[in-house]
Amino acid sequence: MTVDELLQKAQYSIPQSEKETALLAELRSLDRYHRERCADYARVASILFPGHDDPASPADLPYLPVGLFKKRVLSSVPPSEIFRVLRSSGTSGQSPSQVVLDLETAQLQTRALSRIMTHVLGPRRLPMILVEQADLVKDRRTFNARTAGLLGMMNFGRNHLYALDSELNPRTSELKEFLKEHGKRPFLIFGFTFLVWTRFYRQLASVGLDLSNGILVHSGGWKNLQDQSVTASDFRAAFRGTTGLTRIYNFYGMVEQVGSIFLEGEDGYFYPPNFADVIVRDPHTLEEVPHGQTGVIEVVSVLPRSYPGQCLLTEDLGAVYAVDSPACGRMGKAFSVLGRIPHAELRGCSDVIAAQVN
Amino acid sequence: MEVELLLPPRGMVKLEELPSWLDRGRPAPCFHASAISACADLSLRIMRDQEARRYPELLALAFWIRKAEIHRLKKEFSLLSRPDRILVPRGTVFHLPPRNVDTMFVYSWLLSALAGNRNVIRLSPQRSASTNLLLRLFGEALETAAEPARSSTLVVCYGHEDAPTMALTSLCDVRVIWGGDDTVASIRRSVLPPHARELTFPDRYSMAAFRVASYLRLSEKEREQLADRFFKDAFWFDQLGCSSPRLVLWCGDAPSAHGASADFFPRVAACVRRRGYALAAGRSMQKLVFSASAVLDLPVNSCRRWPELTVLTLDSLSGFDRVHPGGGLFFEANLRCIAELASALRRKDQTLTSFGFDDEELRAFIQLLNGRAIDRIVPIGQALQFGRFWDGNDLLIEFCRQIYFDNLPARPAA
Repeated sequence: MTVDELLQKAQYSIPQSEKETALLAELRSLDRYHRERCADYARVASILFPGHDDPASPADLPYLPVGLFKKRVLSSVPPSEIFRVLRSSGTSGQSPSQVVLDLETAQLQTRALSRIMTHVLGPRRLPMILVEQADLVKDRRTFNARTAGLLGMMNFGRNHLYALDSELNPRTSELKEFLKEHGKRPFLIFGFTFLVWTRFYRQLASVGLDLSNGILVHSGGWKNLQDQSVTASDFRAAFRGTTGLTRIYNFYGMVEQVGSIFLEGEDGYFYPPNFADVIVRDPHTLEEVPHGQTGVIEVVSVLPRSYPGQCLLTEDLGAVYAVDSPACGRMGKAFSVLGRIPHAELRGCSDVIAAQVN
Repeated sequence: MEVELLLPPRGMVKLEELPSWLDRGRPAPCFHASAISACADLSLRIMRDQEARRYPELLALAFWIRKAEIHRLKKEFSLLSRPDRILVPRGTVFHLPPRNVDTMFVYSWLLSALAGNRNVIRLSPQRSASTNLLLRLFGEALETAAEPARSSTLVVCYGHEDAPTMALTSLCDVRVIWGGDDTVASIRRSVLPPHARELTFPDRYSMAAFRVASYLRLSEKEREQLADRFFKDAFWFDQLGCSSPRLVLWCGDAPSAHGASADFFPRVAACVRRRGYALAAGRSMQKLVFSASAVLDLPVNSCRRWPELTVLTLDSLSGFDRVHPGGGLFFEANLRCIAELASALRRKDQTLTSFGFDDEELRAFIQLLNGRAIDRIVPIGQALQFGRFWDGNDLLIEFCRQIYFDNLPARPAA
């Protein structure tokens, strides 16, 4: 199967073994492609993964730790072909990841997102509430992951309403207006998980909005708000109880990998689309762990052409729960994300502590 | 402003009260019996404590301050005496130990207390379980000690505020700073009294050197033992101690060096497994990111990985920047002989743990460096063993004033 076929074929319809055969062929050629075009990738792949040049499964391919994109710009295209540089929002004090896109890869990203979203939204644009400040996208020069994600999602909606004012408070009267006009038919709500929870749900819980025709897509996790985080089922129950909203889709993805957009199924697990996959590795041995066991998530996608991002080891913990389980009508792996790998305490007599305090 | 007084345990006290707390104690003569007993007592308390016994670094400390060792130090001290010099304590010593090496505050205190000084130790509010445990045992030992040792040590706790550091600095005769370069710089914002002096123990880098020919002559069993000693050097304190080896040098011809390394590191990996050393998952990931960057920044030609052990082989030491993630990552390089190392060394380089070299070879190496780098050469297995000679200082001397004494009848000037 070509990349085109993987994109075109109904998403979540390919059994895992068939999918792995297709991904392996594509990943092998991408590995060779990037080794030829990105000297840094070739060097890391050959030195960190000696003997991995004839992989028998996607798990055998060289992968880059996602943190490397914070330290280096890795590119497989000449500077003249760079169409856009994506930057992760990055937590304070850290340099953001930088990812180089050419036109082809950017278009693949758009197509991929569209194939996934239309799977749950249907083919038509829906009226859309953005749980964001209106001024977020005014300055298009600061093109970080948050903006990029928002702009990408806006394509699936129409009659956009920014739900928050510049102080991140809900624009209640505008929301009521929107719902009066569009609330009787399906509409889309999009936002980042922690904003949706803290600035939208919590502030509006008492207002009594009817969101029962809404489809909420949210992503981004809890970031620095781990202490305020709620479980997926609490999140769902809270929305259902106070707003009637039942169609909720979390998605997991990262700026560093084009094409890894993992949408939640109705069962609360994430599912990789046809052109991407996850592999869960033991953080110590880096070997793939058996299904059901928690480890570090590697994300795999056949879309990155302009930079060697086809296999990336994330800093997130997760586990694969089922493969080809028909429970929610999706083939492939069902997995969960259990949050960031906890930051470990350092010992020794160097300056690590001062660095943490200052 | 207030700070917490941990020893004696009196809770929050005002900065202005600190001088009176300090004045409850007084300096003692060098190697006063009360100080010797307090040290020996602490050693016993650690060894008898069920919980403390679980921490190898606490046991190592207990071993180092045991009665026999203190008496050995006393004997060494007496060898320093000369007719025209009398050693006396400096007065009050202000210790700023690193938070992240739990046992350091006692090592720092010990030599100063034996020299007869009064001591103030600053601890951070964030302390590990083993530090708190050691602090409790330390308090118990002092509480039962005789005077003047009993009342001549204060332990205070505060964050990174300047005011208490300034207050305590103004009261001290010696200030001892353990920690990174940034810590030293930030504490130096508090100006020392004109007569006072300072000892700093900033960021250091350490390495291990093997003479390949000597290694290859070892028996199977000896190689196992050597790997185990190396494991202790490197993996206690998660390879973040200033004397933890981070770079391994194989001195000999290239094929033999390659063979020795290929034999040695799997044995270290086996120690890691046998001793159940486990790194937090986040640190494992940091190591992987570090390895990938190192491959791009340095002349690394190979990477070997075992669980919790990564070995990056360098073609040369040129441009080697000494940035290090800790947690069981080693750079290695091949040199024909130890003298070849000299040009690559810097002031920052502290300990060379060595195996298989002649005395002459190592002495010549020290002369070749002539003080430019390396403060300590010890056998593999003793990297973390603290001693009176540290970072180029003799701490027994540093904590004393040297009083010149001449009572001969006046002589005509020469």
